[in-house]
Amino acid sequence: MKLSLSSAHLITQLQTAARVASTRSAVQALSGIMISAPADSKPELLATDMEIGLRVPLDAEVARPGAAVLPARLLLDVARSLSAEQLTMELRAAEQDVELICGPTTFHLRTLRAEDFPTLPLPSPEARVTLPTEAFVQTVARVARSASRDETRPVLTGILMSAAGQELRMVATDSYRLSVKETALESSLQGSLEANVPARALQELVRIAQQAPGESLAVSVGQNQVIFELGDIVLSSRLIDGQFPNYRQLLPESVEHELRLSSAEVTDVVRRISLLAQKNAPLRLSFTEGTLTISAQTPDVGEASEAIPVPFHGEPFEIGFNPEFLRDGLESVDSDELVLKLISPLRPGLIESPDTGDFVYLIMPIRLNV
Amino acid sequence: MRLIVARCEVSYAGRLSTVLPEAVRLLMLKADGTFMVWADGGGPNVKPLNWMIPPTVVEEETGERGALTRLIVRKQRQQEQLDIAISEVLSDVEHELDTLLTLEKEGVERELQELLADAPQWCGEGFRLVKREWPTDIGPVDLMCKDEQDEWIAVEIKRIATIDAVEQLSRYLERIRLDPALGSCRGVLAAQVIKPQARVLAISRGIECVEVDPQILRGDREPDLRLFAA
Repeated sequence: MKLSLSSAHLITQLQTAARVASTRSAVQALSGIMISAPADSKPELLATDMEIGLRVPLDAEVARPGAAVLPARLLLDVARSLSAEQLTMELRAAEQDVELICGPTTFHLRTLRAEDFPTLPLPSPEARVTLPTEAFVQTVARVARSASRDETRPVLTGILMSAAGQELRMVATDSYRLSVKETALESSLQGSLEANVPARALQELVRIAQQAPGESLAVSVGQNQVIFELGDIVLSSRLIDGQFPNYRQLLPESVEHELRLSSAEVTDVVRRISLLAQKNAPLRLSFTEGTLTISAQTPDVGEASEAIPVPFHGEPFEIGFNPEFLRDGLESVDSDELVLKLISPLRPGLIESPDTGDFVYLIMPIRLNV
Repeated sequence: MRLIVARCEVSYAGRLSTVLPEAVRLLMLKADGTFMVWADGGGPNVKPLNWMIPPTVVEEETGERGALTRLIVRKQRQQEQLDIAISEVLSDVEHELDTLLTLEKEGVERELQELLADAPQWCGEGFRLVKREWPTDIGPVDLMCKDEQDEWIAVEIKRIATIDAVEQLSRYLERIRLDPALGSCRGVLAAQVIKPQARVLAISRGIECVEVDPQILRGDREPDLRLFAA
């Protein structure tokens, strides 16, 4: 393998690919990036941690086809340190290294075992559904925070993604809160899909999409993997096995209190008061006629409270929430106002987008010890 | 256990040579052959001044009036010895101690076992207890349960579950499954804390992992409210 390319381009593409390379695998090759320059197709960078795989195109002039795997972190550090605009990389099989020459600088980087590097899947054109990238990115951003990080229940670490007709829907839950976002699409989709995709893969895809705005997004769901094509970048991910909870039955049909609130005002108050809700202390929401008082207390640290006018009527009502989960829900409502729906102190609360109802955040309360 | 408080000088000869000048010290001779020399100090360094692990041979020398004047403690089959020259014996008593009791942390495991035996559903949905301390030919498994489908589940309970706990449960399961009636028996590792490595190994062997909170089991604290059972 021998190729030449611009240093700046190599850094850009490496920054994207290196994030996926494994940092803690027993297989050393997975901590590397494969520089692939096949004779019959364009050169690219490949990285994987066995859960997510990424193919990033490389604009390079190939003098001799081939492939080599180099340590991802080291290669990125080397690329960032280069002083000249153009560089060449050549695999020296006998020395088991890659010679990188950039201006007056020469690096010899030992290669990792290319035989250990897995083959990454390629998309199949027949099962492909094209989605508007911006709608996809915004939908992921609204629900991703509710996905669980606890690997003991893998099914909850994913985002249930479905698309059909003119609707894209994503659902995530960690059993303490649930986010549902339904996004109306401008035109009808050719085909449909449903898959439980690791939240980490979708968040990585969002990150890539934000760096390459305007690229189209094609999704193909296989039996146990999903492949996203964003322009020339291909991200593949395994699908999560298991039954996703039946979220529809969790959404309450009727509520006791329904309040329309200013999103910015209530979010700001929650952020402020949460500073004093430490060490698992709940955020206390006390409703009295026309007033919501948000308070928090952490033993040996202090207390905080703030009252805001709200259109509350009826018997005084008090409910506790995990401050971080409540803040996540409030911040996920992308509108000036939000609707807060409550049933009782021990039943879930609902945060919704007003009017459209296209976003629902269900949050379980915390028991308050008086 | 023999405890001698004596004014003595202790010389060690073996891998090196050391001398403890004459002073009042506690000489401890355990029934298992362990010998230790203690000073009344040392702060956080809980360690004898000198010691010899078993097997040892102890020789005693007495003076004209039968008073102990010298102890020689030798390591069997090795060129190591402690020579204790005793000028005055202040106390020399011998007590029979109880057999070794397990540490308090095992008490925590026992309590966890009792709590989970009363509420096996914390080990898995629909679990019901069949027997505590289910015997196998290599030792008893903590709980033997059945689930809603009447399938067998062996539950091993630990305070902190490490890879050793997974290995232990794997061995039990191997023995249990030799009985054709229990051939499909599953394994559950229940612990207050499950180490990440233990969890990886357990999952790779098809063993389920459940973290339990004794405070909730005891009823001291209510479980967190959830949207659904997770």
